[in-house]
Amino acid sequence: MEVNWAQVLFNSVITGSIYLLGAVGVTLTYGLSNFPNFAHAEFITLGAFIGYFVAEQFGLGLPLGIVAAFLVTGAVGFLCYRSIFQPLAKRGATIIHLMVASIALGFILRHSIGAAWSWNPLYFTPTSSAFDIGPLRVTGLWLWLILTAIALSVIMHFVLVRTTIGKAIRASASNPELALASGINVDRVIWITWFVGAGLAAVAGIFRAADTQLWPLTGWDIILPIFAVVILGGIGNFYGAIAAAFIIGLAENVGVVVLIAVGLSTTYRIGIAFLILIITLIVKPQGLAMLFRRA
Amino acid sequence: MLTYFLDFLVFVGIFAIVALSLNLEFGFAGLANFGKVAFFLIGAYTYALLSQIGIPFYLCLISGALISAIFGLLISLPALRLRADYLAIAVLAFGEILRLIFKSEKWLAGGNWGMSVSPVFPWMGSSVIYRLENIGLVGLCLFICFLVVQLLANSPYGRVMRAIREDEVAAEALGKDRAKFKAQAFMLGSAMAAVAGGLYAQYLQYVDPTMFMPMVTFTVWIMVLLGGPANNWGALLGAGLVELFDRGANIAKDYLTLPVDPSNLQYILFGVLIILVLFYRPGGLLKESQIKTKALELARYARDTDNNKRS
Repeated sequence: MEVNWAQVLFNSVITGSIYLLGAVGVTLTYGLSNFPNFAHAEFITLGAFIGYFVAEQFGLGLPLGIVAAFLVTGAVGFLCYRSIFQPLAKRGATIIHLMVASIALGFILRHSIGAAWSWNPLYFTPTSSAFDIGPLRVTGLWLWLILTAIALSVIMHFVLVRTTIGKAIRASASNPELALASGINVDRVIWITWFVGAGLAAVAGIFRAADTQLWPLTGWDIILPIFAVVILGGIGNFYGAIAAAFIIGLAENVGVVVLIAVGLSTTYRIGIAFLILIITLIVKPQGLAMLFRRA
Repeated sequence: MLTYFLDFLVFVGIFAIVALSLNLEFGFAGLANFGKVAFFLIGAYTYALLSQIGIPFYLCLISGALISAIFGLLISLPALRLRADYLAIAVLAFGEILRLIFKSEKWLAGGNWGMSVSPVFPWMGSSVIYRLENIGLVGLCLFICFLVVQLLANSPYGRVMRAIREDEVAAEALGKDRAKFKAQAFMLGSAMAAVAGGLYAQYLQYVDPTMFMPMVTFTVWIMVLLGGPANNWGALLGAGLVELFDRGANIAKDYLTLPVDPSNLQYILFGVLIILVLFYRPGGLLKESQIKTKALELARYARDTDNNKRS
């Protein structure tokens, strides 16, 4: 069988870009609030539906849909943290209680979305037809996705390194008490992180839904690879997440080629991320964080 | 009506076993098993596949429990040394992968369509008798599991587990191997969930991948959190209440006209319920059961007589 390796590589970048957009919120809120937010899957789904609502049902186009989804989902993420997780943590809830609460929130959001829209798959209208660049088959959507991921990485890098809020985020993540004592409003830092994280999840959701399909499990479908990215990259580590997103993207796309070659079902591609997750836990639970100490 | 009530009892019994197993893992040992459904699935499919080739039902149940315990060990071992959240993510992922495998491998157990399972008790022409027989079988298994967990919780072994849950470092300093205790609790819990899975498969007489959605895990968590973690009576109470709520919602569906699709509403209410429990009743309805030992009784007796003398 002839394999177009350039295409495999390009697809890896696409997969990695979606995982990166989805994982940024998980890894930053995980690092700051100290629990994995399983409801992040539903932030992805919610963003995709809001994007669909604005772009398709209102007919305002995809760019406006992305902006609206970012803002609305970001606000929802902030409100969820403010009304559920923060009070629970203040009441002394353990990490297990917070995880259970996030799963409960996920069910509430998922089925509210199911009730508001429907459980039948919906589809975005394709923005442009596919065209060829050399050996590659690409669509406009994919190019936009890659551009968005690159822009996000650059912006986040500058925010984290150069700006006050970025420094505050890093300080709060590494030592909350010291950050508080140094006059950083840790609560506000966490709120901003939840807002931005949920907003970026929405962007990931729109691209994922436009590329495949839109239904209330859009986010749940990719939450396991996203958690694999977060663990492999090191919890709370943005640069680790970038590397991990593309490593897992590559592993999945090469894995699909292998799966087809040995005659197994390609639905197992999600198992590849799981395998990486388990291997990371066995070999190096800190993930790639060792390589990016400064972050 | 009677058959419906008996059916309800069978379900309560089966899920009470799963709730007990989660109570052992989460309530006593402090492990976050977010993939309970995986071990339920292993039990159900092992039963289905083994009973198909004519193996007697008790051997099917036991082998399901053994296989599940082995998987429980394999999957939990990498994560047990780490924080609770790593285990939660790893086991959650395991459950989804397992469901995926049974969904896509048609040769194994019918893939998406599932397969039929031969029941323990052959059909005698009466659904009441069939359900009564199953209540007997499920009740027996539940009784054994309850006894095991109850005795374990009050034994020195159970006290070590609680100590590890409260303070890992302190327990380790006393020479208790926390990874070993956690792994054992996880294996036993997985085995019990598999027994419940086997009973479930033979009672319904079929298995298919849609029966093992992550929602099952979550339902069991509600049972344990609502009833009261680290209290076995609480796990039974929780199983009864959640199942009652489930049935009630199902019946209400037929009589109420709501603007929201009732099946969606049911899940939303489940989610709201658990958040309310976490906010206002994090210890559940029943308090953690106190440890009863001879030494404690004597100490209490001595203290009481001492007080009497003084007064």
